[in-house]
Amino acid sequence: MYLTVKHEGFKTCEQSGFCKRNRAYADNVGVLGNSWTSPYSLSTKTLKIENGHITATLVKSRGEGVAAVELPVKITFLQSEAARVTVDEKKRRQGEIELRHGSQARKERYNEASKWAIVGGEELDRSAKAETSSKETVVNYGSDNRCKAVISHSPFSIDFFRDDHLHVKLNGKGLMNMEQWRPKVEKPEIMEDEEPKEGKQPVEEGEDESTWWEETFGGNIDSKPKGPESVGLDITFPGYEHVYGIPGHASSLSLKQTRGGSDAYEQPYRLYNSDVFEYEMDSPMTLYGAIPFMQAHRKDSTVGVFWLNAAETWIDIVKRKASSNPLSLGIGGKIDTETHWFSENGLLDVFVFLGPTPKDVISQYSELTGYTQLPQQFAIAYHQCRWNYVTDEDVRDVDKKMDRARIPYDVIWLDIEYTDGKKYFTWDAHTFPDPLGMEKQLDSHDRKLVVIIDPHIKNEGNYPVVDELKSKSFGVKNKDNNLYEGWCWPGSSHWIDCFNPAALEWWKSLFAYSSFTGTAANTFVWNDMNEPSVFNGPETTMPKDNIHHGNWEHRDVHNINGMTFVNATYHALLARDPPASRRRPFVLTRSYYSGSQRLGAMWTGDNQAEWSHLAASIPMVLTLNIAGFPFAGADVGGFFGNPSKELLTRWYQAGAFYPFFRGHAHIDTRRREPYLAGEPYTSIITQALRLRYQLLPAWYTAFHAASVSGVPILQPHYYAHPGDEAAFAIEDQFYLGSTGLLAKPVVTEGAESVSIYLPRGETYYDYFTYTTHVGSGSTITIPAPLDKIPLLMKAGHIIPRKDRPRRSSGLMRWDPFTLVITLGSKREAEGDLYVDDGESYDYENGAYIHRHFSFSSSTLKSSDLSADTDVSKPSKKRKAYLTAMTAVRVEKIVVIGAPKEWNGRSEVKVAEGAKPTRTVGMKWFEGERGAANWAIVRDPGTEIGNGWTIEF
Amino acid sequence: MRNTYLLLLSGAAVRTVVAAEAPRPRGVGPEFAKYYKDSETFTCISAPSIHLPIAHLNDDFCDCPDGSDEPGTSACAHLSPLSPASFGSTPSDNIDTTVALPGFYCKNKGHQPSYVPFTAINDGVCDYEFCCDGSDEWAKVGGVKCEDRCKEIGKEWKKQDEQRQKSLSNAAKRRKDIVADASRLRKEVEDRLQSLRTEIQGGEMKVKALESDLAEAERQEKSKVVKSPKGLSKMGLLAQLVKDRIEELRESLMEVRSQRDTGKARIAELEGILSTFKEEYNPNFNDEGVKRAVRSWENYAARDKPAIGDDAHDRDLDEIAKPDGETGAIKWSEWEEPEESDVDVLYKFEAYLPTSVRDWLDQKLRDLRVILVDNGILATAHSPDGESKELEDARNALKAAQDSLNDNIKQLTTHQEDLEKDYGADDVFRALKGQCVSKDSGEYTYELCWLDKTKQKSKKGGSQTTMGNFVSVDKIMVDDEMPPNGKGLGSGERVALRYENGQHCWNGPNRSTLVVLACAEKDEVWKITEEEKCVYRMEVGTPAVCGVGEKNEDKSRDEL
Repeated sequence: MYLTVKHEGFKTCEQSGFCKRNRAYADNVGVLGNSWTSPYSLSTKTLKIENGHITATLVKSRGEGVAAVELPVKITFLQSEAARVTVDEKKRRQGEIELRHGSQARKERYNEASKWAIVGGEELDRSAKAETSSKETVVNYGSDNRCKAVISHSPFSIDFFRDDHLHVKLNGKGLMNMEQWRPKVEKPEIMEDEEPKEGKQPVEEGEDESTWWEETFGGNIDSKPKGPESVGLDITFPGYEHVYGIPGHASSLSLKQTRGGSDAYEQPYRLYNSDVFEYEMDSPMTLYGAIPFMQAHRKDSTVGVFWLNAAETWIDIVKRKASSNPLSLGIGGKIDTETHWFSENGLLDVFVFLGPTPKDVISQYSELTGYTQLPQQFAIAYHQCRWNYVTDEDVRDVDKKMDRARIPYDVIWLDIEYTDGKKYFTWDAHTFPDPLGMEKQLDSHDRKLVVIIDPHIKNEGNYPVVDELKSKSFGVKNKDNNLYEGWCWPGSSHWIDCFNPAALEWWKSLFAYSSFTGTAANTFVWNDMNEPSVFNGPETTMPKDNIHHGNWEHRDVHNINGMTFVNATYHALLARDPPASRRRPFVLTRSYYSGSQRLGAMWTGDNQAEWSHLAASIPMVLTLNIAGFPFAGADVGGFFGNPSKELLTRWYQAGAFYPFFRGHAHIDTRRREPYLAGEPYTSIITQALRLRYQLLPAWYTAFHAASVSGVPILQPHYYAHPGDEAAFAIEDQFYLGSTGLLAKPVVTEGAESVSIYLPRGETYYDYFTYTTHVGSGSTITIPAPLDKIPLLMKAGHIIPRKDRPRRSSGLMRWDPFTLVITLGSKREAEGDLYVDDGESYDYENGAYIHRHFSFSSSTLKSSDLSADTDVSKPSKKRKAYLTAMTAVRVEKIVVIGAPKEWNGRSEVKVAEGAKPTRTVGMKWFEGERGAANWAIVRDPGTEIGNGWTIEF
Repeated sequence: MRNTYLLLLSGAAVRTVVAAEAPRPRGVGPEFAKYYKDSETFTCISAPSIHLPIAHLNDDFCDCPDGSDEPGTSACAHLSPLSPASFGSTPSDNIDTTVALPGFYCKNKGHQPSYVPFTAINDGVCDYEFCCDGSDEWAKVGGVKCEDRCKEIGKEWKKQDEQRQKSLSNAAKRRKDIVADASRLRKEVEDRLQSLRTEIQGGEMKVKALESDLAEAERQEKSKVVKSPKGLSKMGLLAQLVKDRIEELRESLMEVRSQRDTGKARIAELEGILSTFKEEYNPNFNDEGVKRAVRSWENYAARDKPAIGDDAHDRDLDEIAKPDGETGAIKWSEWEEPEESDVDVLYKFEAYLPTSVRDWLDQKLRDLRVILVDNGILATAHSPDGESKELEDARNALKAAQDSLNDNIKQLTTHQEDLEKDYGADDVFRALKGQCVSKDSGEYTYELCWLDKTKQKSKKGGSQTTMGNFVSVDKIMVDDEMPPNGKGLGSGERVALRYENGQHCWNGPNRSTLVVLACAEKDEVWKITEEEKCVYRMEVGTPAVCGVGEKNEDKSRDEL
C-alpha cells in the first residue's frame, strides 16, 4: 500500500490570499520589466546613523494624491558580521488602526519573534563606518571592513559586498511589499452588465480585494480582523547556483526552483508548521517545523539570510543565467539565484550573513538563535520506540529481550496509550499499574524512559489539569476571547498557551515527581502534536484568529508556537531536580522553529516504511544539520506500514548515522524490535547498533562542537569541500562531525554496491577492511552487500572509539578508548575528543576532558583543549572528575596507512606526564588485496585525561 | 604501571597454588582449566599457532583472535558476529576466530557456578542473576562494590527448586489422571462407534425393506385412476371462508411488506453513511470513539446478512399479492362452482356397462394405464388432494429410516474423524476439550478454552471478542528466560496450539492466537502478548504437556 498525502487538506499558494497577492505582485513586476520602479524609498532627512545601526523612515508612495505609508526601518550591523534589516509600519505600531469584528487582537505587527528566537550575537559592530550621500548610504563593517552594505535610497535596495564582490541584494528586483493597514470600504455591488473600466485602477496591489478580508478554507472562516498585512522581499544571490536550508520539507538538499525551469516545483516552498498526514516525497509542501534560514553557496563562498518571521511564509526560488549581470563577472558565477520571501504578517526582519565559509554562516546564525543543547549521552545512543508498548510488563519484557539478544539500547519510549484516556500526567491503571517498578528495572542498566506529553489537554470532568487550565485561564483563546476548544487524540481538548509566563510556571509544576507520580529521574519527555495539531481545525491546526497571551493572534505566532511548548517542557524537566543536582533535560519535538535546537531533538515526523522515505531522510536530516538544528533523525523502519526485513536492516544501518537515532512504528504495524527480525537480519542490525555505540565518543565530541559553535554534526559534501564545484548537489553522503568518517547509507532495495563520490586527491580507507581509495573528483563503486555499511575514513584524522560492547551507553563509562589514526601521504593526522559525565551540568564547572590528538613527525600527541581558566584554576568538581577519570585509559591505537618502514619495529616510546618513559608493543601489518598497511599499538595505557606523547 | 601490577599478581597466583587444586586464572571454568596450565606462555585455544607471554593473560588487552587470553575481563567482548566487522591483532583470515569461551566463570560458592557474558564484566552493574558472588565486578569500576550474595540467593534458589520439583512431580501425577480421562473418553467414542456400526447395519436393512414397500405402494398408486371424491357439498362454503381469510392475510402482508421496505431503505441509507464514514475517516487521528464506531461497523458488515427480501422472494410476494381472479393463483370460481372433469365423464361412461364387463374393462384400463405411466407416456395421477394414505405412510416410514441411518452415518464419520484427530501426545487434550482458563492482563480478561476458542473481554466494557478458533496442535521452538518460580516457557521445543480466524481486527487481520504450553501443576495462563497487530501469543502452564514434547535445552544457567 502506498499512501499519499491528502492535498485538499492543505493550501496551495492560490488558496492562501497573501501568497497569491505576492506572486501576482511579482508577475506584475515581471511584465512591466524595466518600466517598473519599486515604490519604496528611504527618506534621507529621517536618516540617523549611530554606532552600528541606522534608523530611517521608509516611504511607500501610493501615487498622486494618496497619502504615503511610513515604514520605520532599522539597519543593524553586528560584531558577528551579520547585518539586520527591520521594517515596521508606523500606523500599526502606534495603534492608529481599527480592527474589524470587535477583535481583541493586538494592533501592532508581531514584534516578539526575536524574543523567542534570538538569544545572543546582538552586540553591535561599533567600528562600522557609514557614509551617506543623497543617492546612497555606504556602510563598511566587519573584520578589516571587508563587508560593505550599499543602501540605495530611492528606490530602496541594499547590496551586500564582501571583499568587493557583490553577494546579496535586497529588493534588487523591486518585489518589496509591505501591505499597510486600510479600512474596509464597503463598495456597492458591481452590476453584472457593467464593463470594467480600463486603466482606472491604481497600479498598486489594491485592484483585487478578494483576498483582503475574510478567507475560507475547508469550511473554516478566517475573520482576519487586521486585514491584509503581508510582508514580501526579493533576495538575490548573484553568481550563486545553489541554495540550501529552509527546513522542513521532504525535498532535496540543494533547493529546487519553484517558478519554471526544468525539474521545478509549481508551488513555492512553504513554511507553516503542520501535521501533514502521510507526507509525500520531493515536495515543497510544508511539514511540521520551520527554520527560515537559507544559505547560498558557490565555489569557495557561502552567504546566508535569516527571515525572522513567525507567520505563514512562502519562498519562491528562481535560478537565472546571469550573463547580463556585470557584477558577477570574474568570480566564476554564471547563475543568479533569485529568491522571493513573503509572510502573512509581522515585521519584515531579515539577517544577512556574508560567510565566507559554510561554517562561518552557520556559526553566525547559531550565535543569534543559540547552539544545540549538549545532550545527555543516552540521548545520542539508540532509542527503542513504538506506538505503543502496551503495558509495563511489555516494557520490561522488551528490555529483557534486548539484553538477551545482546542488543545495546538506552531508551524505551511510551506513546499516548500509557495514559488514562489520553489525559497527560496520568497512567492507565490497568496497563501500567507499576510505572516506578518498570523505571527501576530500566535504571538497573542505566536506561531511560521517555513518555509523551502533548499540548492538548483533555476537556473532561474530574481531570485536575484541565480544571486548573480553565480556572486560571492558561489556554489559547478563540477569536471571541473565550477558551478555545478543538479535537485531538482525547477528543474535545484545550491547548496550553505557553506564550503565557504564568502558564509556563504552572506547566513546570505539573512535572514535579510528586505531581506526575510514576515518573522517576530517568523519565524524560516527548512533545508531539505541537504544530499544534488540531484534528478539526483549518489545515489540521488552530484557526489563525485564535488569541494567545499578549493578545497576539495565532497567525502572528504560529510557527513559533511549537517551540514555546518545548521550551515549557524543557524548563519543567530542569525544575524537577534541585539546582545542585540538575541534569540536562531531554525533550523530543515534532514542531520546531529557529532556536528549537537549544531545547532538544527533533524528528522528521510520520514517515512511511518505504525505500523512498529512507532515501529522503538523508537530505532532510542534512538540511536540518546545516540549518542549525543538527539533533535530528527520522523514524527508523518508517512509521506507517511494515518494512521488509531488508528495508528495516538498511534503515538501521542509515539510522546509526542519524544524530537522533530512534526506531519507531505505528500502532497498526507488526512488532519490529531488532531481535524479532530473525537471521541474518538481527545480527546485521545489531552490528549497526554496536557500530553506533563504538563511535559514541566521536558522536559526543561532534555534539559538543555543535553545542559551542553550531558546527553541523552531519556535514554534507559542499560543507566539507566548499571548493569542489562539481559536487555541490550531493545529498546522499556525508561526514560525521570533523572525524573524516564518510558514510553513504544504502537506500535502495537489493543493492550489492554503492557509488560514492570522492574529491580529487583525497585518500580514504574502508572503515572495516582498510581498503584504500584515492579520490579523483568522481564516483567509485564500493561493495555494499546487506551486511556492509558503506563507511570510509578520510586520511588525516584521529577517531576516538570505545570498542567494548555494553548493554547501554551508561555502562561504557569506564571502558578504555581506542584511537584510530588514518595517515595519508602527508603522514599527518588530527582529531578531538570531548568527554564529560554525560548527564549533569558539572562540565560548566570544568568537569570535562577535552583533548586534541595530533600525529606528525611520527609522534602522536595528546594536548589539552580545556579552557585556560579551567586548567589554571581547576574547580573542585573538575579535580574530582579528572581524578575519577584516571581509571580510563587508551587501550589501543590503530594506525591505518602505517609507513612501511615501521615493518620490523615492535615497540613505541610512551611519555606521559611525570611518569617515567616506557615502551609498549607495536605491530605492523602488511595490507592484503588493496588494503592499506596498518599497525597496532598494544595497550599504551595512557590516561585519557592526561597529556602524553607516543613516538613511533 | 597497571600492567606490571597485573603481571605480578597473576604470576604470584600461579606460583603459590601450583601444587593444590588446579589453579585457574580469573574467569576460567573448570572445563577449560587444561588450556591455562602453562606458567610461561599462553597458547590461544582456537589458534594454537599464537603463543603469548603469560603476562598477556588477563591483562585487559585482547590478543587471541578467539578471545581466550582474556577469560577474566571484557577486553575481548567485541569478538562476536554481533559486532561490526574489524581486524583484531591478526590480519590472516585462515585463523579460527570463533569465540573460545562461553563467558566469565563465576564460582558462585554456595550456589551454582555460571558463566556471565563478557560484555557484563566490569561495567559497574552487579549481575547477581548470573553471578551471585559479585566477582563479575572485580575491578570495582566507578567504585561499584558487589558483595557476595550467594548464600541468600542459593538458599532462595534451593527453596524454589524444591518447590519446582514438587510441583513437577504433582504435575506428572495430574497428567496421568488427565491421560486416563482421555483414554476413557476415547474408549467411549470407540464404543459408540461400535454400536453405531451395528445400528447402521440394521438401519440399512430396514431402509431396503421400506424401499420395496414404497415401490409396491407406488405401483398401487399409479394404477389408481381416480381419487376418492371429497365432500363437494361443503367445498363451496369452505372456499368462501378461506377466500376471506386469505384476503385478510394478504392485506396484512402488504402492510408489513411496505413497513419492511421503509426499514430497508433506512438501513441502506445508514449503511451508506457508515461505509462512507469508514472510507473517509482519518485513521492517523485514532480517535477512540471513531475507532470503536468503525470497528463495530466492520464487525456488523462482516456478519452474514439475513436476506431481507431478495428479488425472488419479492417476486413471490408480488405473486401472492395479486388478487385471486382470472390470472391469480387460485381460481375461486372453480371451487365455488365445480365443473365436470374428463375423469368424471369417463367414470360416468363406465356406469353404463354391465358389472362383469365393467370390471374387465376396469382391470384392462388399469393395466394399460400402468404400462403407459411406466413408459412415461402418461403422467401419474395428480390431484390437489395428495396421495393415498398408504403411499404417504410408506414414504414417511422410509424417510424416517433413511434419516436415522444418515444421522448414524454422520455420527460415525464425526467420531471416526475425532479418533483420527490430533489431540496431542497420549490424546491428552481430549480430556481438556471445552474446559476454559482465564487471566486478567492489563485492560482485558483473556480466556483460553482448550481446543475451542481464545477470547478477550475488556474490563472497560464491551462484548467478548474471539481471538481465534482452534485449528491444530503443533510444536515450536522457544528461547525464553525461565523465571525463578518456574512459570515460564524456558528454552527448547514446546507444544503449541494454534487458534486462527478469530474476529476481524480494525485495520488488521482476523485475530489469531498461538498458545504455547509448558509443564505446570495446574492449568494457568501466564502471559498474553500481542506479537503483532491482533496476533496474540499466550503462554500457558498445564500438566497436559509435562514430560511430552518438552525437549528442554535448559540454558538458563549456562546460556550466554
